Amino acid sequence: MTEEVLTQVPGNVWKVLVKPGDKVKPDDVLFILEVMKTEVPHVATQAGTVAAVHIGEGQEGVDAGTVAVTIGDHSP
Amino acid sequence: MLEVIKPGLETSIQDYPGRIGHWAQGFPPSGPMDAWSFRLANLLVGNQPGAAGLECQFVGPSLKFQRDTVIAVSGADMKPTLDGQAIPIWESVAVKRGQTLALSFATVGARAYIAVAGGIDTEPSLGSRSTFHKAGVGGMDGHALKPGQVVPVGNGSGKAGRRVKPDVRPPIPTDKRWTVEVVAGPNDDWVDEAGRQRFLSTDWKLSSKSDRTGFRLEGPQWTFTGKAYNKAPEHGSEPSNIIDQGYPVGAINLAGQTPIILVNDGPSMGGFINPYTVPSAAFWKLGQSKPAELLRFKIVTVEEAQDLRRSIDELCSERSIV
Amino acid sequence: MIYPEPRFLPAGDRFVLIEFGNEMNLELNFMAQGLATEIAEQRTNGVIETAPCFASLLVHYDPDQISFRDLGKEMKALIRSLGPSDELVLDSRLFYLPTMYRDPWTRACVEDYCNKIVKKEIDPDFVARINGLADAEQLVRVHSGTEYWVASLGFWPGLPFMMALDPRCVITAPKYNPPRTWTPQGTVGMGGASTAIYPVATPGGYQIFARTPVPIWDTEKRFPVFHDSVVLFRAGDRVKFVPIGKEEFEFIEAKVKERTYIYNVVEYQKFSVRNYKAWVKVLETAKRF
Repeated sequence: MTEEVLTQVPGNVWKVLVKPGDKVKPDDVLFILEVMKTEVPHVATQAGTVAAVHIGEGQEGVDAGTVAVTIGDHSP
Repeated sequence: MLEVIKPGLETSIQDYPGRIGHWAQGFPPSGPMDAWSFRLANLLVGNQPGAAGLECQFVGPSLKFQRDTVIAVSGADMKPTLDGQAIPIWESVAVKRGQTLALSFATVGARAYIAVAGGIDTEPSLGSRSTFHKAGVGGMDGHALKPGQVVPVGNGSGKAGRRVKPDVRPPIPTDKRWTVEVVAGPNDDWVDEAGRQRFLSTDWKLSSKSDRTGFRLEGPQWTFTGKAYNKAPEHGSEPSNIIDQGYPVGAINLAGQTPIILVNDGPSMGGFINPYTVPSAAFWKLGQSKPAELLRFKIVTVEEAQDLRRSIDELCSERSIV
Repeated sequence: MIYPEPRFLPAGDRFVLIEFGNEMNLELNFMAQGLATEIAEQRTNGVIETAPCFASLLVHYDPDQISFRDLGKEMKALIRSLGPSDELVLDSRLFYLPTMYRDPWTRACVEDYCNKIVKKEIDPDFVARINGLADAEQLVRVHSGTEYWVASLGFWPGLPFMMALDPRCVITAPKYNPPRTWTPQGTVGMGGASTAIYPVATPGGYQIFARTPVPIWDTEKRFPVFHDSVVLFRAGDRVKFVPIGKEEFEFIEAKVKERTYIYNVVEYQKFSVRNYKAWVKVLETAKRF
């Protein structure tokens, strides 16, 4: 089952911590947005492999509700 | 009464008009940025329009209710649910003891308001329950909500099913563009004609480094009149430096070349010029704007700004409710 | 200059900025504070509050009670009725504030700035040098040798901006560029011609060279002096920095912690602008302590 990780806030992409192919487990921080001088970490809720990353470090003005990272499950 | 399960990004207790009368000691008014949505939420649950409620920013909280009550959510749509079931915004809703209200993130607008019948009942600080977290004054122990806290609520009786008419709700644009009223002054004579034209014809981008202290704007350089250069050295070395002066709430403060709109928790004085001031009537727009959205400013007179504020005040009344 | 007529500048829909002049001159602050006092005494209809600054007064009004135009007329009438600032007599409390000059904490803060941001001459030496003083010890004698007039509060709640009353003790100091990211609580510093005390540890740009162990801000009402106010100072107060050593600093710090420290406030004096100006006239201002 694919998980789409959405941005929860609008803002700038401060850090992207994963790339396609990385294996992640629940609560691993995938990326961190910055808004209102606050860092907002976004975590994986399922175990899986990062299929795609749709945002880039330094990207500005990302909307809330954007698909940022797609995670596939471990099955081939 | 309200148990904080998740605090949201920054959720704080605010009342209206906020902490007034302490500007000379450096205390800002704080209070809700979108006082239009805030007051209507209070009216929906039978509170006075200025009663203490919660301001939610970008991502809202999850709160568990320890007794039956009536609530209303207004402002930006954060898709509120009660025990997982969607509830309407701009409408009073009955809540039963043990139920959990959860707000998600806003896609249109930035700030939502939660009013509870009876109003939030913390100990006021310097005459207000509004939160000024930089100085640890008001709010919950001086700060925004934290998980595990229980927010006290006064006694009140609200009626469910009351609704704000759609045409009297603040019209939040969906195209990411705002027209924001400004009054010229106090220091508009420090900016030259070209600079003034440039200010009014630019789509200023709201920086994500903006918060309740100041809204930072990105755009072109400012250019100045002789006043900015032919001044006693004690003003400071930048053209936008001035001998420290009192700042009005809503001042567009020019820190070097960076305009910062001083909003509800902003500083009361400093050493930079304020060429323009955003009037109270336009604050709801600031409160609902999101990073990377574009603000274009439109000059109004003092009297026009005052009339605009009066017309919004009139909308924040029982006649807006069905 | 002191403007022949004050300027009334609109500041949004609820504020007016009254400018008395455009220089750092105690006279201008006396005018601002004189008007603020008069407005408070007269309870001018529609005025919610006022906030004086160095050369100006910000007035917060209720447009439903008074229009911008009528407010201007009221203010002009009040200013005329006040007459020249020489006539002003203001209630003025005097605070004796024990202060350690050339303390280790501001020194550590400056050294941290030098290590992390940009190298600079240590502040007390720098300020002494650019003001033509013999050394940092003379800076201490000169800076502590005068009462300071609280011209304004703000930027941070309770942060006092003060001006030296004795012209023989006037010194100036440029601000840090870029500013520091932190300053120890209780730091005493200077920017331009103004002295400030940091109520809490905030970023800042003033040159720093002293520290007081006495709180100037208290939300917990630990001391009687904070009974009616979270903030110690008001505009029109005077402050006398009393130089102390490290042992005395630590002694007072302990008393503050125990909540037994007794604030030294003199509350029976009035400040007469006429008397002050007459005194300044007889001073040999070229001579320093």
